[in-house]
Amino acid sequence: MIPIDPLDVPALRMAWLNLWRNRLRTGLATLGVVIGVVAIAAIGITGTAIQTGATQQLGDLSNTVTVFPGEDNADGRITESTVNAIERAATGATVVPQRSEALTISSRSESRRVTVEATARPVALYSASEGTIPSPMRSGVLLSEQMAMELGVSLGQTVSVDGRSYRVVAILEPSGGFGPGGVSVVLPLDAIDRDGYDQVTVVATDGEDAQRLADVIPAEVNQREEVVDTFTPADIQQSISGFFATLNAALLGVGSISLVVAGVSILNVMLMSVVERRAEIGVFRAVGIRRREVMRMIIAEAALLGVVGGLIGVALSIVIGYMVNAQLLGDPMLVFATRNLQFLGLGFGFAVLASTLSGIYPAWKASTANPVEVLRG
Amino acid sequence: MTGRDSVDPAAAHSHPVAQLDGVTKQYRSGDEVIDALATVDFAVEPGEMVAVIGPSGSGKSTLLNVLGLLDVPTSGTVRLDGDDVTDYDDEKRTMARRRTIGFVFQSFHLVPMLTATENVLVPTMFVRGNQRDRAKDLLRRMGLGDRLEHRPNQLSGGQRQRVAIARALVNEPRLVLADEPTGNLDQDTGRQILEEFERISTEREVGVVAVTHDDLVTEFTDRTVELIDGVVQ
Repeated sequence: MIPIDPLDVPALRMAWLNLWRNRLRTGLATLGVVIGVVAIAAIGITGTAIQTGATQQLGDLSNTVTVFPGEDNADGRITESTVNAIERAATGATVVPQRSEALTISSRSESRRVTVEATARPVALYSASEGTIPSPMRSGVLLSEQMAMELGVSLGQTVSVDGRSYRVVAILEPSGGFGPGGVSVVLPLDAIDRDGYDQVTVVATDGEDAQRLADVIPAEVNQREEVVDTFTPADIQQSISGFFATLNAALLGVGSISLVVAGVSILNVMLMSVVERRAEIGVFRAVGIRRREVMRMIIAEAALLGVVGGLIGVALSIVIGYMVNAQLLGDPMLVFATRNLQFLGLGFGFAVLASTLSGIYPAWKASTANPVEVLRG
Repeated sequence: MTGRDSVDPAAAHSHPVAQLDGVTKQYRSGDEVIDALATVDFAVEPGEMVAVIGPSGSGKSTLLNVLGLLDVPTSGTVRLDGDDVTDYDDEKRTMARRRTIGFVFQSFHLVPMLTATENVLVPTMFVRGNQRDRAKDLLRRMGLGDRLEHRPNQLSGGQRQRVAIARALVNEPRLVLADEPTGNLDQDTGRQILEEFERISTEREVGVVAVTHDDLVTEFTDRTVELIDGVVQ
């Protein structure tokens, strides 16, 4: 028993004792609150973790805009003058024209027919796990880890593409997600010897800038005809964020409903206990406890249920969030991210609010206990 | 109090602690109107112990309720310690009870999960200031010095009633109202409890009104009032 002097916080002490008196009932009512808080907080935290995971996958590329030939572009090429127009439209961003073609690449033992990419500035798009990417790239070849393995070559060895020899100058770091990350062979621009480009990648400062450029470039470059069209993973990222926001709102709604249900069960429990204690409350009233003091005692009882249930729920949610973040993101401490703390606060606050509100009617009911009935008994 | 003649407390105080003037209390039961109290005049002086006797339904309990500000009369005037409290609202009546009245009930009505000391403190729960020492002192004087931290279920009937009496005294009341205080006790224990009441009324200059069926009670009281059908005989 908590040693609180009844004179210090009488309402709280009485509340605690009364809850203790019906431990099973109190426990069950608390369980309802716990479930409600976990529904809000743990689901919120899990949602955040999934969203963060999905965004991380896109993260590297979400600041790029891919410009490709548009509907009215008859020969499917982006000309040198169009590239100049793109550069003018996208001031401050890095513009990387690319050519691609299916070619045969072979080492001493193996041979593969793959889509190779030719560009002068691969350093803007890729990063190397071994070796260095030359900038500008005039010679050599960049291979993905997978391709290097298939061909059985390593850094410094040579491969031949279309009869020309290239030295492997770097192995590319694998990058997840969409877009140019899927490339396996990168060559200097002149390896594919023709006019124009198949696509242009524009590297913006961030996702927001990428989304802006994805709109600005076609608007500037296309005069009457749709010569180019654009695509940016930032759009996908935004729709993913939007999706998760909707999902989270829906789940929070479900969580809130479960807390309302918990509130109703507290209302029920408190009403029962108030009816049972009517004689005792009548004695309180007879010996000079005021109506509002009786109300304070009962509301304190309901609020205490909410606080206890809320604390247990928050603790459980942190444990769940800890495990989810460890599994999905590999960093369990992310459970203490600001957004997650907000979910925890929301769950706890709602629990205390719902419980306290549920105590009001039973408290009023208790305060009407008639001391005369006690004397008659 | 100079108390030259403490046998006559009325001489020391100018007014009774509680007084009913022409109090009528009617209850409606269907079409019938029942007079639970019919033009009752009644007064308790400080230091006086009064027994109210009468058959069931004679209005004894109603008298106690009206005296204890738990119920309001249909007509007539109620005075408490000289103040007219007839028209007090619930809040004011509660505060008046808290300040000047102590209650002792037939079935003790202690709070089961509170210790003896805490039970005594119940009326002072929401009052500022620590009354704990006073509560313990009262229990010691009731002979419960070794039962301070016991819960009601660890006490005998007589001990419980003593705790209840200590609770009635913790707010230093002017008036103690007892409803069948010996009703749930055996003869010997009842006698001890009545001795306590007698001591309280004389030592503390408190008016005591005990409603009872028990003839034993009348042996200890200064005065006995009999009620029949709401009328003082």
